[in-house]
Amino acid sequence: MTAAAGTGQAMGRERTGAGVAVRAGEIVRLLIPVLIAFAVGALVLLLIGENPVDIYTLMATEAFGTARRTAATLSAATPLLFTAVATAICFRTGVFNVGVDGAFVVAGLAAATIGFALPAGLGLWLIAIALVASAAVGALWLYVPGYLLARLEIDEVVTTLMLNFIALGLTGFLVNTVLLSETSGNNTTDSIHQAAELVRLMPPSTLHAGFIIGLLCVVAYGIWARLTPAGMEAKLVGLNPRFARSVGISVPATIVTVMVISGVVAGLGGASHALGQVHRFSDGFSAGYGFTGMAVALLARNSAVGIILGAVLFGALASAGTTVQLFSDIPLDIVNVIEGTVMIFAVVELGRLTWRRRRRR
Amino acid sequence: MKPIHAALASAVAIGAVLAPIIANAETAPVALIIAQGGLGDGSWNDTANAGFEAGLESTGLEGRTIESKDVVAQGEEIMRRAADGGFGLIASLEWIHGEAMQALAPDYPDANWVIMNQTREGDNVASVVFAEHQGSYLAGALAAQVTTDTSIEGINAEPVIGVIGGVKAPGIDKFISGYIEGARAINPDIDVKVAYAESFGDPAKGEQLAKAMFDEGADIVYQVAGGTGIGIIEAAKAEGRYAIGVDTDQDSMAPGHVLTSVLKRVDVAVQSVIEQYAAGAFPGGEVINFGLAENGVALSDMVHTRDRIPAAYLEKVEELKAQIIDGTIEVWDVSTQGYPDFLQ
Repeated sequence: MTAAAGTGQAMGRERTGAGVAVRAGEIVRLLIPVLIAFAVGALVLLLIGENPVDIYTLMATEAFGTARRTAATLSAATPLLFTAVATAICFRTGVFNVGVDGAFVVAGLAAATIGFALPAGLGLWLIAIALVASAAVGALWLYVPGYLLARLEIDEVVTTLMLNFIALGLTGFLVNTVLLSETSGNNTTDSIHQAAELVRLMPPSTLHAGFIIGLLCVVAYGIWARLTPAGMEAKLVGLNPRFARSVGISVPATIVTVMVISGVVAGLGGASHALGQVHRFSDGFSAGYGFTGMAVALLARNSAVGIILGAVLFGALASAGTTVQLFSDIPLDIVNVIEGTVMIFAVVELGRLTWRRRRRR
Repeated sequence: MKPIHAALASAVAIGAVLAPIIANAETAPVALIIAQGGLGDGSWNDTANAGFEAGLESTGLEGRTIESKDVVAQGEEIMRRAADGGFGLIASLEWIHGEAMQALAPDYPDANWVIMNQTREGDNVASVVFAEHQGSYLAGALAAQVTTDTSIEGINAEPVIGVIGGVKAPGIDKFISGYIEGARAINPDIDVKVAYAESFGDPAKGEQLAKAMFDEGADIVYQVAGGTGIGIIEAAKAEGRYAIGVDTDQDSMAPGHVLTSVLKRVDVAVQSVIEQYAAGAFPGGEVINFGLAENGVALSDMVHTRDRIPAAYLEKVEELKAQIIDGTIEVWDVSTQGYPDFLQ
């Protein structure tokens, strides 16, 4: 029962060590892997004969240099807000759900289909219907592995990972066949009606209202996690299921609940991406947002503030990493090196802390 | 050293004199946005990039390629950034960028825009399309000659050939009608079997459909079905028959069992557009048709099958090609003319 004691201690510390100190600590912990990653990136740049200072300055300018570039960065961060929240909800409950990408994709297809198939005359109702439907599709999609884990103890890593492949196969099939646009040789649906498009926040930038929805999801998640009994219970299940059970929390019900909420958030993300960004569904709809979202959640240690910072960081790497190619000879690979290193050190850092905490007892 | 300096100096002087004459010539750099799949795909992107490099080389222009893991969603931001960043010619290889390009091009009147495989409007937008019907015509003509020549391994006496499309859509039927027309030009009574896989990504279905066609006496099947076509080529290999490849040179996917491939020369198109741009003659607002005459479509070199095909057949194909180029033969184009009587 040492683990249970440790749990109590950890929780106590969080409750008492309130305020600024904890927040600052959180941000420092978030920064360490990022700084290491940029150092590794700098090393690689030096090895290929580039000046890291110049390149990083250029990247920073491309990411945040002007209002328009900042908007591009936030636009790239938008899907990650959703996928990171959807992942964090499960991770903090101890459910290793890696199926957010699949839920994002199937829900995105549902939203796009509603956006072009229903009559345009529905106006704003189109958006409402699409959001509700894709939330439902996402919820249903992740309910299945949630149920399998909660009731039959079928490993969720395996089921959710496999569901990602099914999602890609299923949407790929549909967009190649019944939903294929008549006017296209490529694998895309028709464009959604203009009425179904989410409004742009800073035209001509592609930053759209989905960013606001994403922020709302992060805020709702933060409130749920810190202030509601359900959020507290989920955390207890994550820290120690046996202890949670002993104080009367239903572990299976909690697991199913967090998986369904995760599906809802992932589904809203897919809808936001379809209605706000791509305006249709096509092959390549998700550039692995579910997995980048996982890195964001790990980096953020499931904290709401950390998720926003992490999503913006990865959004900046995606947007600046692409456009720096216009102004330097830096290949996309260097950005991939930085992203990959952030991911690795986010996880390593997590492992080291857990290990140290355990040794202290 | 001195004579070289002198030569350089005079070259510079001549350049200075000539410069006003070619005042139209564009010097702003060129950007090429790489489509999904990225560089190294051994296909569409790599072929286009080869043309891009050749175009930069021949014009002396600066240019950059842009890759993104998220090219679908970020297309619009990339295109705007390129135009804001002073690029004068921005070409995208990604199909899905077309709609956004048409919408944003008016915001950048000084930039020139190029999109592929679709027709978009705008004074500074050039749409590159390929005359796949012409290339398919030649493939049909070749297949119609080969299909009755039992001296060729794997060929039966029946005048039956086939074609399998991904889906029934004008963009695909453009290939199919060209193929049928070419086959009928050789043998008006030929039986061309047509099937649709209802999918571009189902090799198993392709294999099944192709095998059914081979069972019905076809010995050559043209695949116009993307990833589904891999199964069609597999079936040809398994049954000892022939497939015809599409878009890129697929002859080596099953050496000796791919009769030829109908190539789409995106490299030729990219290079040509860059050169026109450099010469101050960017075809803005136009639909540029890359057909046989422009070397925009072609049959492959047939490295694995050329030795088996009697020279007379290839000569006939060359003859038809010349007639299409000089306008004696006009191949039906479903995408602009609608459906012909022989394909409804």
